[in-house]
Amino acid sequence: MLVHSRGTKWAVWALFLVLFLPLFALPLLVVLGASFATHWSSILPSGPTTAHYSAATRGEALQALTTSLVTALAASLIALTVGTWAALAAAALPKRVRRLLDALFVLPVAVPSVVVGLAILVAFSQPPILLNGTRWIVIAAHTVLVTAFAYQSVSAAIVRLDPAYEQAAASLGARPGYVLWRVKLPLLLPSLTAAAGLCFALSMGELSATMMLYPPDWTPLPVLIYAATDRGSLFAGSALAVVLMTATLLVLLAVSRIRTKASYR
Amino acid sequence: MGIRFDAVTVAYDGNVVLDSLDLAVQAGEVMALLGPSGSGKTTALRAVAGFVRPSAGRVFLGERDVTDLPPYRRGIGMVVQQYALFPHLRVEDNVAFGLKARKVAKTEIRARVAEALEMTGMAAYARRHPRELSGGQQQRVAVARALAIRPDVLLLDEPLSALDARLRSDMLAELARLHRELPDVSILYVTHDQVEALTLADRIAVMDKARLQACGTPRELYRAPANAFTASFVGNANLLPVTVGADGVAFAGAELKVDTAGAARGSKATLCVRPHLVGLGDGPNRLQGTVSEIQWRGSTHRLYVDVDGHRVMADVPELRTPPAHGDEVTLHFAPRDASLLTAGITHG
Amino acid sequence: MVRRLLWALPPVVLLVLFFLYPLLLVVQQSLQPDTGDTSLQPYADVFASGAFREALWTTVWLAPAATAGCLVLGFFLALVIAFVPFRGARAVAKFIDVFLSFPSFLITLALLFIYGTVGMANGMWTDVTGAAEGPFQFLTTPWGVLLAEITYFTPFVMRPLLAAFSHLDTAQLEAASSLGARAPRIVRQVILPEALPALAADGSLVLVLCLNEFGIVLFTGAKGVTTLPMLVYGKAILESDYPGACVVAVVNVVISVGLYGLYRVVSRRAGA
Repeated sequence: MLVHSRGTKWAVWALFLVLFLPLFALPLLVVLGASFATHWSSILPSGPTTAHYSAATRGEALQALTTSLVTALAASLIALTVGTWAALAAAALPKRVRRLLDALFVLPVAVPSVVVGLAILVAFSQPPILLNGTRWIVIAAHTVLVTAFAYQSVSAAIVRLDPAYEQAAASLGARPGYVLWRVKLPLLLPSLTAAAGLCFALSMGELSATMMLYPPDWTPLPVLIYAATDRGSLFAGSALAVVLMTATLLVLLAVSRIRTKASYR
Repeated sequence: MGIRFDAVTVAYDGNVVLDSLDLAVQAGEVMALLGPSGSGKTTALRAVAGFVRPSAGRVFLGERDVTDLPPYRRGIGMVVQQYALFPHLRVEDNVAFGLKARKVAKTEIRARVAEALEMTGMAAYARRHPRELSGGQQQRVAVARALAIRPDVLLLDEPLSALDARLRSDMLAELARLHRELPDVSILYVTHDQVEALTLADRIAVMDKARLQACGTPRELYRAPANAFTASFVGNANLLPVTVGADGVAFAGAELKVDTAGAARGSKATLCVRPHLVGLGDGPNRLQGTVSEIQWRGSTHRLYVDVDGHRVMADVPELRTPPAHGDEVTLHFAPRDASLLTAGITHG
Repeated sequence: MVRRLLWALPPVVLLVLFFLYPLLLVVQQSLQPDTGDTSLQPYADVFASGAFREALWTTVWLAPAATAGCLVLGFFLALVIAFVPFRGARAVAKFIDVFLSFPSFLITLALLFIYGTVGMANGMWTDVTGAAEGPFQFLTTPWGVLLAEITYFTPFVMRPLLAAFSHLDTAQLEAASSLGARAPRIVRQVILPEALPALAADGSLVLVLCLNEFGIVLFTGAKGVTTLPMLVYGKAILESDYPGACVVAVVNVVISVGLYGLYRVVSRRAGA
């Protein structure tokens, strides 16, 4: 509809492919290819093997995957609860106070994750709350980082929600709590699951703050991937990365299933 | 239970959207709030529902002052233009919503949902979701949902404006039937459509510019409008600027015989004549002019006639040989078909 | 009103406890090293060090450059997907969504295979020319980081843009082209104004994310590229110099929040 001449169209598409393939498709394919190889210094990888995968689904690696999954699940659920609560509370407040809350809850995005990690390390290595050396410090940091995204996407959804539903419910005699539980939350459900998926994916791949705080017995998968590549095991690292991506995608797929169901109702 | 507005004023940031409204709806009465958009009619309805807080004045339901009550404590049924059916609930759960919120017993809920759906002819659709229904069906469910809580007061906010013309007249008949079946329910009906108001209402409150302009039965407002705005908004009207004489008025150099009771001799006034009461040809109260426009409307012809610079409309039964553009014609009307407006001399 | 404020209290308390209070402690530590009295000495020390100044400069030029690259590339790619659609354009849009859910360091990992010293590109070069070394040695320089950041963050621009484009009425485009406007003119006068708010918002997000990016830089494993977040990590974890780390952290936060704020003001002025 924008370009009508056939030649121009093809030229535009060619340029698109030339930019898109090497920049976006190639990296993922390369990681996938490398995870099945032992050697790669020409156009194609060589030395096909699945050994990296058997290593990546056992022992330390399996534990790291579980660690990542538990951390991401906990962080995204807490972040979703806190973020939704804050967004709902903010929506009921006058514009000025709401602006302030918006800024406050978006701040963790603007602050570098490494600094969030450092701050939490500094704060919880000393009384009154001692979390350093426990898994809770990792979960706390992840939660802080993803709450901002949960808050933002839920507030955007609340703004889009037609107030007529709420008012219809109130006119039928429903108290605010009942309206929230029976009308607002069900209507927000698709956005809530989308926000949960986003938080989960972010937490699964979180490296910056984690590097600052993880205790030896709570090593998430990204840290393990870094350790592998740092000691030169790029191929083993790729297999771990593929495991990380697959796990993330599987969970996101499950979440989007829930979402389609929720939005169909 | 009646509704009473006692000097209700609503203002946002100093912008008055409803100016000191005094109005009483009797128990079992259908009151239409008729006016153009921005006239304050919806604000008045929302003040009754509790979604708008008056900056001054009180709202009463029966003897109870509800001004400070939250919406969910008012017990009012409400239907809005876009229906606002809960998309995630089935029809039956939409209708049961208010009953569940009030913790009515389960068996009772089932009976009352069935009754409300029966009354609106939607019993066969109980298991559907709102998006599987047509606009008219959604409308009926919205009415059923409002009626299920057995309100004493029903608020209808432009309930038919999202429907097409045919469906609208069907639903209008349907609402009239519902009101006959529920004679004790007071209905406040907000609309900008005079046909809806004339058809359904026991009384009409005409609103404009945040103020109540007139209130009366449809017949009163139509036959003897209190001011020019009411005359032009309730039905069509020719509004002619006249000077009051001894036993008639002067208009465009002609003497017209009309009832001038209450008007001071020599004063300026507005004469209101409905177009369908204007006839073509000679008779009492003649007006002469040239045809500026002629429209064929099936069973009638609408003539626009220029009488000394003033446009006069006449709706006459379909003519075999209608006059042509530019023809000289004579119009007439009976003295009792005209009413003299002495207040609000604005021609528009 | 008071009740509503009370409802907002629990999440705010949590945010204060787990975010603001820790940040405050970082500021406090940066001003109060172990001796206990407040002084600006740690700042003077850090500002005097060459490593810090280099990291500061790298961070400050890299992030806007990467942001500009992402905006240009993302706008073009989204434009093609939305308005010069081809078979599979929807799949590409889906792929972009998936891409967004992966961590940033994957890109560096992949680039190591492609442009690394013994990677694909250099391997092919040495195979073909018989040279001892390939020509692609940029990966451990800021240019490698720039490439990785543009790759990783471009989808962050594309997705909101695609959403904005889907709201654009195609009738507008048809009207414009029926009036004789050619593609570049339509892009400039119809599409760009419509996309400007989305571009501005994405730009600010990507700018901040680039300023704060850590994984990409960490994975290049290069000593040659140090950004502020890397310096924070290095000082705190590798050197156990917490006061120094806190100083760099404060500077990093000030720059990030400051540039973010400046960007918002400028883009709002520009009418976006």
